[in-house]
Amino acid sequence: MPPYESDVCILGGGITAAMLALKLLELRPALSVTVVEAGKRLFDTSNRMAYRQRSIDYAENPWPGDFIADQAAQGIISRTMAVGGSALHWGGTCNRFSEEDLRLKSMFGLYTDWPIEWSELEKFYCEAERRLGVSGEPSPFPEDRRSEPYPMPAMAMTHNLIELRKWAEQSGIPFQTTPQAKNTQPYDGRAKCIRCNTCSICPTGARYSPDYTFRRLLERKNFALHDQTLVRKLSLDPSKPTVAAAEAVDYRKPDEPVEYRARVFVLASGYCWSPHLLLLSRSPRFPDGLANSSGLVGRYMCGHAFHSAMIEIDARIYPGMNEQHGLISRRFFRVQDRGRFVRHDLRVWESAAGHEPRLRSGEGKILLGDSLLADWRQRSARGTARVRGYYDVHPDRESSLTLDPASKNRFGDPLPRIEHRLDAATEARRGATREHFQQLFQKLAQAGNGKLMNTSAGNYLDHPAGGCRMGNDPASSVCDSFGQTHDHENLFVAGSPTLPNAGCTNGTLTFVALTLRSAERIASRFPKG
Amino acid sequence: MRIRRRTLLQWAANLGGLLRLSSVRAWAQAAGFPASQEATLRALAPVVLPAELGPAGIDRITEAFIRWVRNYRAGAEMDHGYGNTRLRSKPASPAPNYLLHLEALRPALASGDADSRRQAVIAALEQAKINDLPRGLDGRHVAADLMAFYFRSSDANDLCYRAAIGRDLCRGLDGSEQAPAPLKEPA
Repeated sequence: MPPYESDVCILGGGITAAMLALKLLELRPALSVTVVEAGKRLFDTSNRMAYRQRSIDYAENPWPGDFIADQAAQGIISRTMAVGGSALHWGGTCNRFSEEDLRLKSMFGLYTDWPIEWSELEKFYCEAERRLGVSGEPSPFPEDRRSEPYPMPAMAMTHNLIELRKWAEQSGIPFQTTPQAKNTQPYDGRAKCIRCNTCSICPTGARYSPDYTFRRLLERKNFALHDQTLVRKLSLDPSKPTVAAAEAVDYRKPDEPVEYRARVFVLASGYCWSPHLLLLSRSPRFPDGLANSSGLVGRYMCGHAFHSAMIEIDARIYPGMNEQHGLISRRFFRVQDRGRFVRHDLRVWESAAGHEPRLRSGEGKILLGDSLLADWRQRSARGTARVRGYYDVHPDRESSLTLDPASKNRFGDPLPRIEHRLDAATEARRGATREHFQQLFQKLAQAGNGKLMNTSAGNYLDHPAGGCRMGNDPASSVCDSFGQTHDHENLFVAGSPTLPNAGCTNGTLTFVALTLRSAERIASRFPKG
Repeated sequence: MRIRRRTLLQWAANLGGLLRLSSVRAWAQAAGFPASQEATLRALAPVVLPAELGPAGIDRITEAFIRWVRNYRAGAEMDHGYGNTRLRSKPASPAPNYLLHLEALRPALASGDADSRRQAVIAALEQAKINDLPRGLDGRHVAADLMAFYFRSSDANDLCYRAAIGRDLCRGLDGSEQAPAPLKEPA
């Protein structure tokens, strides 16, 4: 089969790829762009209400077929592999990082700084919010100033959130509603939210997902989307260190290798599969894989840790009004105590925990029918707040994604193994961080005659990123701030893998902002018109 | 002991046939649920569901439960989760187990007063070592699953709070800042 040729070949079909392709084609309408995605396209929007119902009734997968059984990674937090990626089922939360995340070294003497100014990133946050369609209210803290308002008014606070905010702010900590890529009015051809309470399968498209962008892109003749096609290796030009081709296999015709040729290749496969492909692309010239002269591909894998609590409060909470919308305080994005580095967000959601129906009474007696209902009602007089803080942790160099020789896909390619490891300074803070959260949860509980029901610590790093971290120095980074790899001038990495650290709140908006900035650099390589 | 090849093949064929037969039977039991146990299921429902629903409400829940069993898809993909993710599929239909449970309860539910029926159901749940309402209906006991089917539903949530919360409905944003309207009293 002859190779597919395009100006830009994007590997991966998630939110990063969608935003990159969209902006590239706006900046350079004549460009030919191909997106290659291993998973399927799940564009049957008319079935989504039915999938949602089966998910509620039977706990069936609301995205049938959104995975590849033998394309798994140890340590990955989602098996989703489809056109749209994890942003098919994301919650739509669009928090920004803060300047501290980019200036850890210069402000606190910790870990590293990013090779990008905050004011520069902030411009692209505004653009990301416009493109995704974010509804939100501004933060009360001057450090969180914005150069543009949110494109849509904030999601209405339900009765539950109003009650929770009243309770939470008695502690003296200001809260605001969480900004989300959910339409509070018709936006960008998609409908207004109708509060289905199942954002992981939004049946109306009110919550942004990349499949909508791809469907729009497919109306253009110079855009191609090849799904169910796994890229297994990047190969180099024999005479220079530029990428010449991506070697792939179509799951539907596995005996016919597929080749993609392009002037620019962009890895947009997320924190797991982007470094994985670079490591798989080893050759005698590059025995450690591509873009890896620093030895840092698959290193500094990052994410944030979290502590959670359930707090019973004196408020009438009606579980289920809108469990997908919550409150955030950004107070702790700033270090409160100069002698103790603890940075985190603070989130509050409605919950039914502790007030759910149960089969046995406190004495262990079986409850049926009326007695079960009476017991449930009696325990539901008070409400529950679900509270969580995602806190800032910094990766060690050995926080790694490696090729696992013991685990291979059907084609014999070794699969990734992710093992997060935190740096020594983070480990040294662990006890103090736990103590800080215990005190904070107690303070919240006491402020409103609440009762701390339980606390827990997360057993994985959430909102993961890293593996191809950006920097100015080729010896300590894989790519520059635009994602251009130091070793191969026509190979870029976009989005989450480029983050040196994952901040202390959801990362998707940051991944998209960085991607939109990369798009300008990539477009500048091609003539206008 | 040497086994003749023909004997081995014959055993394998019989085993395959039995397996196929059992899955066909399970399918038929699910599709026709509750078949001859309908009266027992309908006698069980008022024991485990709240009287506040009224007879019509209890019938409605029972019908919905029957539909749920009939429309169950063994082997369907399940949500693979986030965080500690894994691929799973729906286990075999619970219908064959339910029919056995109903058959065991039949004598107690067919006669006796309300209290003895309650005691029979409690004894069955104790014997099955059911300690909490199942999160997903798991076929361990039909009484526990019928209760979980209702009490974990959006409708039961409304009944508990006596408010039209409509957790599983698409309800629009307008008015959501108000407490949900009180439930209408049954006519």
